[in-house]
Amino acid sequence: MKRKTILETVLDRGFTRRDFLKMCTALAATMGLDFSETDKVVAAMEKSARVPVIWLQFQDCTGCSESFIRSTHPKVESVLLDMISLEYTEALSAASGHQIEEARKHVMKHYYGEYILVVEGSLPMDDAFLTVGGVSAKETFIETAKGAKAIIAYGSCSSWGGIPAAYPNPTKAKPITHFVKDKPIILVPGCPPIAEVMTGVIAHIITFGTLPELDHLGRPKAFYRHRIHDKCNRRAYFDAGLFAESFDDEGAKQGYCLYKVGCKGPTTYNSCAEMRWNGGVSYPIQSGNPCIGCSEKGFWDNGPFYVRRAKIPASQTTINPETVGAIAVGVTAAGVAAHAAITAVKKKEQENHDRGERK
Amino acid sequence: MSVPTNPKIEKETVKVVWKKSRQAKTIPLNDQMVKVYVWELPVRIFHWINALSIFILMITGVFIGRPFASASIQEEAYYSYLMGWARYIHFFTAFVFTINLAVRWYWVYKGNEHATSNPFRLSFWKEAWETVKYYLFLKNKKKHYIGHNPLAQLSYWIFIGLGSIIMILTGYYLLFEPQPESIYGKMFMWVAHLFGGDSFSVRSWHHLVAWGFMVFTVVHVYMAFREDYLQRNGTMSSIFTGYKIERKEEVLGENNGK
Repeated sequence: MKRKTILETVLDRGFTRRDFLKMCTALAATMGLDFSETDKVVAAMEKSARVPVIWLQFQDCTGCSESFIRSTHPKVESVLLDMISLEYTEALSAASGHQIEEARKHVMKHYYGEYILVVEGSLPMDDAFLTVGGVSAKETFIETAKGAKAIIAYGSCSSWGGIPAAYPNPTKAKPITHFVKDKPIILVPGCPPIAEVMTGVIAHIITFGTLPELDHLGRPKAFYRHRIHDKCNRRAYFDAGLFAESFDDEGAKQGYCLYKVGCKGPTTYNSCAEMRWNGGVSYPIQSGNPCIGCSEKGFWDNGPFYVRRAKIPASQTTINPETVGAIAVGVTAAGVAAHAAITAVKKKEQENHDRGERK
Repeated sequence: MSVPTNPKIEKETVKVVWKKSRQAKTIPLNDQMVKVYVWELPVRIFHWINALSIFILMITGVFIGRPFASASIQEEAYYSYLMGWARYIHFFTAFVFTINLAVRWYWVYKGNEHATSNPFRLSFWKEAWETVKYYLFLKNKKKHYIGHNPLAQLSYWIFIGLGSIIMILTGYYLLFEPQPESIYGKMFMWVAHLFGGDSFSVRSWHHLVAWGFMVFTVVHVYMAFREDYLQRNGTMSSIFTGYKIERKEEVLGENNGK
């Protein structure tokens, strides 16, 4: 059976070609492409068929799915109905139980090497924590990953381990990259990731048939190229040295920089400051809350959210470097003073001794 | 205070493996004492530029990490650039610090016997241990050193050597991370993998090691004053003038070992 192309699907649903071109233009813009490359998107959408997608959920909160269905550019319905064919998802499927598992097996068999596997949530090392229908999460994932064209890790849990992997990590949660290494994996971290980033990554794969360009940690460069800090709308206040000291002071009212109330913007790579949320309405810092760094590895352990800390290397513990440093210097100074006192006493003793010898 | 000396250890004075180290110049004062030119000019210049830049880097660094002062004009961002200047001074000083250290590395090869150190010898560690005992007021066989004692040398390897390298690598990573495609960005991107992978971990290293330098400074300054107080050999003035006043037999003892 010949599958319908994306263009045919759009036309079937009663849209005009003009609407289709508009969709492609918006899509190209979301993916960070130059306007002149819009025709490539159009050509791809005219030729390629909808891509089958299997969406697995493990140790997650369904927050990523919730974010995904709020995509506005492209609209989630056009992604779900025109661009991809979402064959398996716990949150959105009408079918359930054995029926839906059948659907997954069907895709894995008939679209071997073609489908995209989307993973939301981390995987426990101990199977006792996540086994569905007698099959452990690990097994399900490795089995499904085998025939996937590419794997997309949506959210910080599947990308880094996320909240399940936070101290003390009772389930020994690991990111999906720990289990499958021979497949192209795109990390789309965030808690949750921005909806348009989620759809943008899928759109890129459909448009070009290849993975988007990834950075050294495996995140798409188009969306994780900059730190929040570098594109922040409050950056001018940072450079000026104007900081909100608390959430109810005059600085907070004036919209000053939130650095001193714990903003993690300077260490967080994401496109919140450029793309913003809910269709570009706002993002945490704009709305007055410091960035909590949710798209960074171990963000939950890098807290508390509203203070500035430094992490003790190779641990999940943070300390206030200035306080600890000052204490360390104080203790050293006290030790030095004691050592100096002993030295002076010893020297006096020695001198008295020498004098005694000379007599 | 008499200095315990051990002729056995004295035989194996600091020698470098890659070259015959240049002996320090001496000027005889009388039949007992000599002036030894221990710290040559590049070493002294390095020392003071290094000290000054660490001082500036620490003050601006703490301000960047925890801004303890705010702009005086509490209005719009347009009127002040306090953090901008703090960062600018920090970065400028960082380059001075780096170049200064590079010159000092050159002087490790070029300088006199006191400008270098070779920890790849058993006697280095034995003597360092004797020095630890000496500082703990225990019975020891530490001899008198005209330059640095091995424990002091070890502390410079750890703080000025390794510590500086950590600060330089993590620092330039943090400086260039907004421009990963630039040549400088590419030069330092790998640093993240060495220090935990993410920006926050690299930053944490930078903050913690900075305080290591402060602890070092306290001990270093104390030890220098203490040496001066006990030996009365001009340790404190030597870092300005380069000269220490030593007994002739000490200098001959060190040189005969070569």
